[in-house]
Amino acid sequence: MLIACLPEIGRQFTGPAVPALFETCVLAADVMHRPKRQTLKAADVHVTFGGIHALGGVDLTLTRGRITGLIGPNGAGKTTMVNVLSGFQRPTQGSISLDGQDISALTARKIAQAGIARSFQAARLFRDLTVLQNLTVAGIGSGLSMRAAAAQARDILDWIGFAGNAEWRCDLLSYGDERRISIARALALQPSFVLLDEPASGMNEAECDALMTVIAGIPSQFDCGVMLIEHNMKVIMGVCERIHVLDGGRSLAEGSPGEVQKDPVVRRAYLGEKASDKTLAI
Amino acid sequence: MRLVRFWFPAVALVVPIAVLVLLSQSFAPLTVQRVVTEALIRIVAVVGLYIFVGNSGIVSFGHVTFMAIAAYAAAWQTCCQMLKPITMSGLPAFLRDNTFPLLPSALTSIAAAGALAFLSGLVLMRLSGLAASISSLALLFIVNVVYSNWESVTMGTASVVGIPTYVTAPVALVCAILAIVVAYLYQVSSRGLTLRATRDDEVAAAASGISLYWSRLFAFTLSGFVMGLAGVLHAHYLGTISINAYFLNLTFLTLAMLVVGGQRSLAGAVVGVVVLSAIIDIFRRLEAGVSVGTAQLALPAGTQELILAAVMLVILIFRKDGLMGGRELELPRGKAEPPARVQSAKNLAGAAGKT
Repeated sequence: MLIACLPEIGRQFTGPAVPALFETCVLAADVMHRPKRQTLKAADVHVTFGGIHALGGVDLTLTRGRITGLIGPNGAGKTTMVNVLSGFQRPTQGSISLDGQDISALTARKIAQAGIARSFQAARLFRDLTVLQNLTVAGIGSGLSMRAAAAQARDILDWIGFAGNAEWRCDLLSYGDERRISIARALALQPSFVLLDEPASGMNEAECDALMTVIAGIPSQFDCGVMLIEHNMKVIMGVCERIHVLDGGRSLAEGSPGEVQKDPVVRRAYLGEKASDKTLAI
Repeated sequence: MRLVRFWFPAVALVVPIAVLVLLSQSFAPLTVQRVVTEALIRIVAVVGLYIFVGNSGIVSFGHVTFMAIAAYAAAWQTCCQMLKPITMSGLPAFLRDNTFPLLPSALTSIAAAGALAFLSGLVLMRLSGLAASISSLALLFIVNVVYSNWESVTMGTASVVGIPTYVTAPVALVCAILAIVVAYLYQVSSRGLTLRATRDDEVAAAASGISLYWSRLFAFTLSGFVMGLAGVLHAHYLGTISINAYFLNLTFLTLAMLVVGGQRSLAGAVVGVVVLSAIIDIFRRLEAGVSVGTAQLALPAGTQELILAAVMLVILIFRKDGLMGGRELELPRGKAEPPARVQSAKNLAGAAGKT
């Protein structure tokens, strides 16, 4: 465990005093044991960039085995929320907890190892590596040996329907395939929660349908919770059990797809004042 | 078959080199043999550089430092028993008054280089990208300034002479093969794979649970050891060392070799050394003068450097990934067709169906 703490020690040279260091180490030790987690909870999360409030007090709970949608107009703070939950953005105020344990102080890597995986809007694959290697890296990151990680990677590629092309280099992939592999790579981390940031953007109709099947299958196949950010309402309404609506960094509504669709406040945010009495475009 | 496929990229580099060396040993004149030995030592150095630079994507200007550390450590242990107490009076007594056997001295010197790489890496690897590169340059300068001025221990900028010379082409060949095998095994290991992932995308690597710091530090330390091996070879090949031999010239020569060959593959590192060493040697000879019939022709001094610069520019303009383009020498794979070819195969099938 001491080894795992060493980077923390390094970081603390620039940071506060020793007790904080000790706390972080103990926390990291606990978190790294990785049983599957039940809930990921964001409480009163604020993020401020200079004078701009990207998030102004968002509460959000993800539950294992459930797909939660996060929607909202451009600039609503959806990606910032993903960045906060995955440790790439420290909340200015508020906390993130995994089964009641505060993880807001952990680095992105530690949070990934604790079982919160994410995909990126720009797929961000390791371009010089093969598809299989991309997934293997995440497997290694989750603590598997090279051999076990590669075996797991093959299983996931099998499941997602890419097994025949496992040896392709990622710079050869089409846009849609990049997205699929980026989801697969997040799953290779054996997460308790997967955060998918606009996986369907730029996909055509057929690819979207295939993607919906994949996403809908994730909770049962990988025993984890999913948070899905998407602009494509067909995808969102098709797979999510709960939907959380953000606007201007604040929670606007939360409920089942049916409830959210009918919510007049949500309609106004999406369609403007005049259109608020029409139905939400699906 | 799997074993063959696994080892092929390393074997495909080692075998041609070994054949060339053995041929040169049997048939070539002594001057060529010396060039071959020098090239082999440079292979060790550039492969050592590649282990870090190639896999991490961070250019290091500081690696020659580790050669210097090992070369001096080897010199202190093995050179000139009679002169040492006078010329290097500041050495600790056990070094000053003893001469150590060659093999232990080589091993401890390599360990010293690796240790410095680890210690400096603890600090340097906290930085990314250009900041790390520039800081590694600082390391080069720090060690150079210290060794240039610590006269009682290093003889300042003067040469340390009288180091036993046992490095011949076969010795250098064995070490070059060792370096290539180490680099290859590292690169296909889980540590190598995760480091290459951080090279492609730091953010995604962190999101995949990979520590940038530790994966880089490991590679930096390992490459420090291999650079140390190059330093020991260099010292025991020339028999004389001076700190300025391990400074900017050698730094940029090794980097140029890595860039020309292609810094993202082991094959690139080795090919770069072979190609540039050949070019350098040919033009050195032309500068020295050749007789064509009765006429004596000689290129003006400095031509070789200009040609080197030109080669570098041409590569950077027309093939910026280097001669090998970041690929290893691999056995062709049967089933893995790249998408473009799959596409054209489909088109062909379609066309065939129509006719």
